[in-house]
Amino acid sequence: MLEGNVVAVQCTSSALYRPFALYLLFVHLLRHKETSVDLILQTAVNSMVASSFFALMAVGLVLIFGVMGIVNFAHGELYMVGAYSVWFLYSANGWPFWLAVIGAFVIVTLIGLLMERTLFRPMRGNPLGGLINSIGVLFILQVLAVQLGGVGLMKTVIPPFPGSTTILNGVSISDQRIAALIVAIGLLVAMWLFLTRTRLGWALRAVSQDSEAAALQGININRISMLAMGLGAGTAGLAGALISPMTRVEPYMGHGVIITAFIVTIVGGIGSLSGAVLVAVLYGFFYTFVTTYVSGTVAMMLGLLIMLFVLIVKPNGLIGVRASE
Amino acid sequence: MGITRRDILKAAATGAVLSGVGLPKWALGAKRKTLKIGLCAPLTGEVSAWGLPGLYGCELWADNVNAAGGVKLGGKHYDIEIVSYDNEYLPDKALQGYKKLVAEEGVKMVMMLGGDTWPGVQRWANHAKMLTTTLLPSDLSPDTPYLLAPCEVHPIYNVTGVDWLSRKFPQAKTVAMCAQNDSLGIPSVATYEAAFEVAKIKMVDLNIFDPTTTDFAPIVTSLLAKKPDVLCLDTAYADFVNLISVQAKNQGYKGKIISCTCDNYPAIISKTSKQFMDGFIFQFPDFDDPKLNQKFINFHNPNKFYKDYIERRPGTWTAVSWEYPSILDLWKYGAEIADSPEPMSVLKALKSKPTAPHAFGTAEWWGKDLWGVDNALVGNWPVVAINAEGKARIQEFGSIPKWWDKHSKVLIKHMRARKQMWDQRA
Repeated sequence: MLEGNVVAVQCTSSALYRPFALYLLFVHLLRHKETSVDLILQTAVNSMVASSFFALMAVGLVLIFGVMGIVNFAHGELYMVGAYSVWFLYSANGWPFWLAVIGAFVIVTLIGLLMERTLFRPMRGNPLGGLINSIGVLFILQVLAVQLGGVGLMKTVIPPFPGSTTILNGVSISDQRIAALIVAIGLLVAMWLFLTRTRLGWALRAVSQDSEAAALQGININRISMLAMGLGAGTAGLAGALISPMTRVEPYMGHGVIITAFIVTIVGGIGSLSGAVLVAVLYGFFYTFVTTYVSGTVAMMLGLLIMLFVLIVKPNGLIGVRASE
Repeated sequence: MGITRRDILKAAATGAVLSGVGLPKWALGAKRKTLKIGLCAPLTGEVSAWGLPGLYGCELWADNVNAAGGVKLGGKHYDIEIVSYDNEYLPDKALQGYKKLVAEEGVKMVMMLGGDTWPGVQRWANHAKMLTTTLLPSDLSPDTPYLLAPCEVHPIYNVTGVDWLSRKFPQAKTVAMCAQNDSLGIPSVATYEAAFEVAKIKMVDLNIFDPTTTDFAPIVTSLLAKKPDVLCLDTAYADFVNLISVQAKNQGYKGKIISCTCDNYPAIISKTSKQFMDGFIFQFPDFDDPKLNQKFINFHNPNKFYKDYIERRPGTWTAVSWEYPSILDLWKYGAEIADSPEPMSVLKALKSKPTAPHAFGTAEWWGKDLWGVDNALVGNWPVVAINAEGKARIQEFGSIPKWWDKHSKVLIKHMRARKQMWDQRA
């Protein structure tokens, strides 16, 4: 039996408390020291794709929390609706893929706006109420997905770009991932430009920092809340839409994603956009490298441990909203 | 010519005679009594692919049996009704559902997927003395006298696939394997480790991943880094087999793939290619396979069952679509021997002989060495491979008992190393 197997299997949740867990991790990494440059590069490419999607998810979550003070537990389900929209429009009804992606963005944005207007706005100033409402939306969207698409095997979304590109000898990436990566990075850049170079973006950030002061400056809080919710939901929907040909499209696909989004958001600093993007990139690399060299189970455990550690040592996160923005 | 009073009286008399004594009541459509069989399985959630298609298969089985006159026990004909409960593969829901099926619905047998959903049910099932079945014999132990694994002997049958691979492709010398970290994945890991050791195929990497994994790119990268001749997907969930295969293709893998299951493989072919999937080995045939029409097969009319199923529930066929119905076949066989639907009578009838009719031929009650009790029905199991036309076809029926007779020590060694022997489980 491989020694590495022992590391992977024995690191169950009870191992969280074992003082040698990190030691075992490093021993295992050392065992892979024969690792090739190809493997490192392939893992780095995988990491870039993972990071971009973590960032898309986390940015939306942060926008909604920053402006409305609500932890949107239904964020993973908005991602799921994005993926389902592409399945429905592209796979089931033959729309062109990119048109289906735009359709998914519109659908999920509209759901976000509806949530803001009917569920979150009446709960303004009541974070617990908003949170409970978002959990309600989570279940409603899951049940709707079950009713509309059924359960069982995942929905098949055939990649519109089925080929692979060899970047270097031994390092290849599917064309679908390249396309998704380019679009995701483009979106993040566009969002950064919007937030830093436009009046509406400044207003959004102002409300995120201090809504009362922003209101006194004449900023319409309702309008900004709708903008934040629409953008936040839309980015989650886009993430789901872009990744739908590469992942498991099923009603509960939001579960795993929301855990990662929370890790990124909390470690980055709740409400901090730059923190979310920075940590999304770091966490994407960390998670992918640990998964490749050790195991996915250990990667998830360590991610949660890091989140707990940050919550204890630096509750505002690495770039806490109060400190920097 | 008009109808006379005498004609009306004749017709009335004939009707009265026919309805009273001339034909059995079931032949005239009179309402028969109903026997309920329970299915406590994941119908939604992550593992629903191994629950919901089973319900569809059972409903088809019940319709077929009822249309043919039902089950005759004690001189009476009974209709069969399948009562399901969605346990979502959650232990607490499984117990809740099991109690409901037994105490409220009065079912005569409960079929389960098993695994994580069984331990919480075990005590209550023993108390109720309810005949229960699992698809995972790793649930068996001396403490489960009323639990049978009468269809699928997961994961032991996986040895037949590796054995066939090693004979057909002797050039395969290394394998890299991945498995999800749960009660489906780990016993299967031990079995594959034993099978590859026997086949002298060296395991160069093993990646045990979390069942919540969504991105398989890093896992596949890790596996392919060792440049294996064979990629083994263990008992990965149906969707994971899809995603891992697609990743393997995208990262340039060109070797053999072996897996316990490959449900809805046409979807994987549509995302990869027929060429890539050519030679993919797994253990579950489509039931339109001509080799299932051989005389030793006990599943009733498998080709028609498959055709009817696909017409009724297109795109939902998985391994469990026929497995739960095959358990119903065995239950019917036991109930008819016992001439009673009562759970303990059926169990006694089934275990009264050392063998019983398994879907893939006569099989023996077995398992004491591995699970502490001979409650698993073990015999032949098919090895399936996808051909160049993109169709899965049975390659051979491998004998699990023959493999066991030669290599039992190796399997027990690996099961013990993975803490999967019955005396090691809590």
